[in-house]
Amino acid sequence: MAAKCNVLLLTDAVALPLRVVLSALRDVGTEGISEDDVVVITQCKSLGKLPKESASVDVALVAWENAELVGEQWFQEIGRVLKPGGKLLLQVIPSSDTLDKPSSMVERKLLMQGFIEVQSLEMKLLLSIGNVQSITVKAKKASWTTGSSFPLKKATNKVPKIQVDDESDLIDEDSLLTDEDLKKPQLPIIGDCEVGRTRKACKNCTCGRAQSEEKLQKLELTSEQINSPQSACGNCGLGDAFRCSGCPYRGLAPFKLGEKVSLPGNFLAADI
Amino acid sequence: MDEELNSKPSRLLVLYASQTGNAMDAAERIGREAERGGCPSVQVLSIDHFGASCLPDEKVVIFVVSTTGQGDIPDSMKVFWKSLLQRNLSNQWLEGLHYAVFGLGDSGYQKYNFTAKKLDKRLSDLGAEFLIEKGLGDDQHPSGYEGALDPWLLSLWRRLNIVHPYILPRVSDIMDPSKRSLDQAKFEVLYHFADEIQSKLSTISDLKDTEKVIESALSMSPAQFYYHEKRPEYFLQMITNQRLTEEVDGRDVRHFEFKTTSSLIDYQVGDVLEILPSQNPAAVDAFIQRCNLDPSCYITVIPRESNNQSLGRHSKSLVHPIKLKSFVEYTMDVASASPRRYFFEVMSFYAEAEHEKEKLQYFASPEGRDDLYEYNQKERRSVLEVLEDFPSVQMPFEWLVQLVPPLKTRAFSISSSPSVHPNQVHITVSIVSWTTPFKRQRYGLCSSWLAGLDPCKTNGVYIPALVTQGALRPPPPSVPLILIGPGTGCAPFRAFVEERAMQNLTGSVAPILFFFGCRNQNNDFLYKNFWSSHAHDDGVLSADKGGGFFVAFSRDQPRKVYVQHKMKEESKRIWSLLSAGAAIYIAGSSTKMPADVTSTIEDIIAEESGISKDSAARWLRLLEKAGRFYIEAWS
Repeated sequence: MAAKCNVLLLTDAVALPLRVVLSALRDVGTEGISEDDVVVITQCKSLGKLPKESASVDVALVAWENAELVGEQWFQEIGRVLKPGGKLLLQVIPSSDTLDKPSSMVERKLLMQGFIEVQSLEMKLLLSIGNVQSITVKAKKASWTTGSSFPLKKATNKVPKIQVDDESDLIDEDSLLTDEDLKKPQLPIIGDCEVGRTRKACKNCTCGRAQSEEKLQKLELTSEQINSPQSACGNCGLGDAFRCSGCPYRGLAPFKLGEKVSLPGNFLAADI
Repeated sequence: MDEELNSKPSRLLVLYASQTGNAMDAAERIGREAERGGCPSVQVLSIDHFGASCLPDEKVVIFVVSTTGQGDIPDSMKVFWKSLLQRNLSNQWLEGLHYAVFGLGDSGYQKYNFTAKKLDKRLSDLGAEFLIEKGLGDDQHPSGYEGALDPWLLSLWRRLNIVHPYILPRVSDIMDPSKRSLDQAKFEVLYHFADEIQSKLSTISDLKDTEKVIESALSMSPAQFYYHEKRPEYFLQMITNQRLTEEVDGRDVRHFEFKTTSSLIDYQVGDVLEILPSQNPAAVDAFIQRCNLDPSCYITVIPRESNNQSLGRHSKSLVHPIKLKSFVEYTMDVASASPRRYFFEVMSFYAEAEHEKEKLQYFASPEGRDDLYEYNQKERRSVLEVLEDFPSVQMPFEWLVQLVPPLKTRAFSISSSPSVHPNQVHITVSIVSWTTPFKRQRYGLCSSWLAGLDPCKTNGVYIPALVTQGALRPPPPSVPLILIGPGTGCAPFRAFVEERAMQNLTGSVAPILFFFGCRNQNNDFLYKNFWSSHAHDDGVLSADKGGGFFVAFSRDQPRKVYVQHKMKEESKRIWSLLSAGAAIYIAGSSTKMPADVTSTIEDIIAEESGISKDSAARWLRLLEKAGRFYIEAWS
């Protein structure tokens, strides 16, 4: 990087070997840092606020022995001093009584504070306290801020890179589909020329379907037919399962011939 | 071929991945036909009861898999599928396995039968050999998926008979109607004498009593074994039942508010409230009377022990004898859901009248399949209606327990934020009604029931409900949001906006762009004042905050205007928020809307960034994988 890069090292330990810190920074892709660029704050537990201007830090490297420090207050402070788009690398020793996945708890707290591109990673221990488990998380401060304006993007033929939680131990399931599969599927060709099934004639029908439909129009039941139903075929009273497709009684419950037909008393009639 | 014959397959395994029960039904039919064909051992299992690592031990497996939602794998298959996708599996891992895949899907969707297509390819890539080409069932077909299943099964049995005659010795028996016999019912009903029942419930309040009865009923229900249905955790009291649409318009959309009485409700924005509806008491009584049952006798339902079953045991502690009427009331859907083909087949064995027997056998046969579809599925014929149309049928209660569709919970996106309304939960419900092809008027069971409830009733109105995670995950306050929710799709976003407004009081939040759509400004502009209040005075939807609220009124002018059109107008803003890390959420009840809106987003990305539409689609897919693109669609 050509421009000077401001790095903040924040720890609750008494001391931290700078050499270790610089190599950690190189590991996460921050090159060209010299000792002069790093501001070190140790024994930070007693501090309330950071003695740095807002949005003055490019990279914050945080190493905590004490998991208690993980929380809103400190993250807010770190967020304040970081420039928009600034990077954070956090390593902390989880306390023994935390739940199963302490790294996801740390990630979540970072997200709640407004950090983006939060990712856990493996990194060797920076703090010199012997052989313990540590959690390392990297994150970024959002480059979008309240009230900022966006320059209208010209067509640049580029889209922002998306950080995907890469499950690289699984194959890409979309690769299992052929080009044929991806095309819009063909609806089944239904022989629907028969009038009276679901397809209806168009409003401006020219093929004659509309006329056929009119002929097939279900005959409205006359009061005669309701009060004293008769049936030439003998099936009308048996119910829809037995009725012919043109039956005027279609849609009604079964009834006895000669007895008055009860009109729909649907059990699901809304009580509104 | 000879090597295969050396190791005879010990059994036929049928694995199903079902979302609404159709794939399960098809799988059970395959199992029955295999038995008829003389299969020495057939096992039908839900795929989440089978570990993928056991696949190489099998010789013959049939997969029956649904594609759900906008083209997704069913929930029950997610773990299995992930195991199968592992990179380190060799292309010989499944050598020696013969398989066949049948998919259930809907060609009205772009991602038609994707589950079956991907599964078939992956199995083949892993070294398994297919018996026949994959079968693709299609909801758009005149008789649904069975239109494809019937011929596919015939090919399968024929092929299996050649490749593994030990597994399927007699194809002709399957097709022979005279060989059709009644299987054994899967469940037993135990009747208890009155003096066995201790009335230990007499000292507990009415509500607790009902809770225990419902708990027991659901624990015994066959659905518990097949679907792993969750049981209601709360009894919520309805406190508000408010109509949001004008009386003028045909559509009736309600705003319901509920509160808990005892425990706290644990939920997040984006979650879903599942409600167990009450059935019409008159319908329940009519069903019991029609079936000659005694409503007041006490029963327990248990799975019948048999070799071919692996149903497992239910949790004994929750099961105690309950009244038959209660079991019917809470677990058997008698007046709403339609029975399946197998119901008609079993009915035929219990029909006394000859013409009814013939008709039922016809309906259950491949020849009668289309007519059955027209009479039953398309008409949404209920169990009660079917039984009334075939009055000579007397089906034993065991069979009814097994075959009457289970009473299912209905899911609604939660429209409130728990931080704004502690101990309350709100939902937005469109009352469902439609006319069938035979011109019968039908109403949605749950929505009509809710609409008719009066919160001011003396003792209060209580509904059994539970909370589940939906497809929409709650966003952190620092992520800018692009929300698209026409009609009742706005429900979860009311919760999002409420929550973010609350978070705004204590810290900085990112803005929200919300696109809403409805028919008329004066009729169905849901929550009009709510959106307005947040779009002014520095609210999270206000321009000052970097946000925006846009409405498309589709029918207020001669030209149709939808959310997509409004989005195109805000192309640049959408793109700049997206580039700054925004997340996109789409919700709604239309089947086509999510795909149309997605396509619009692809167009916007392509236009603003200069890349091709295909690349834009790929970028969106990455966005989805990164957890920044969610769709919740219901029908």
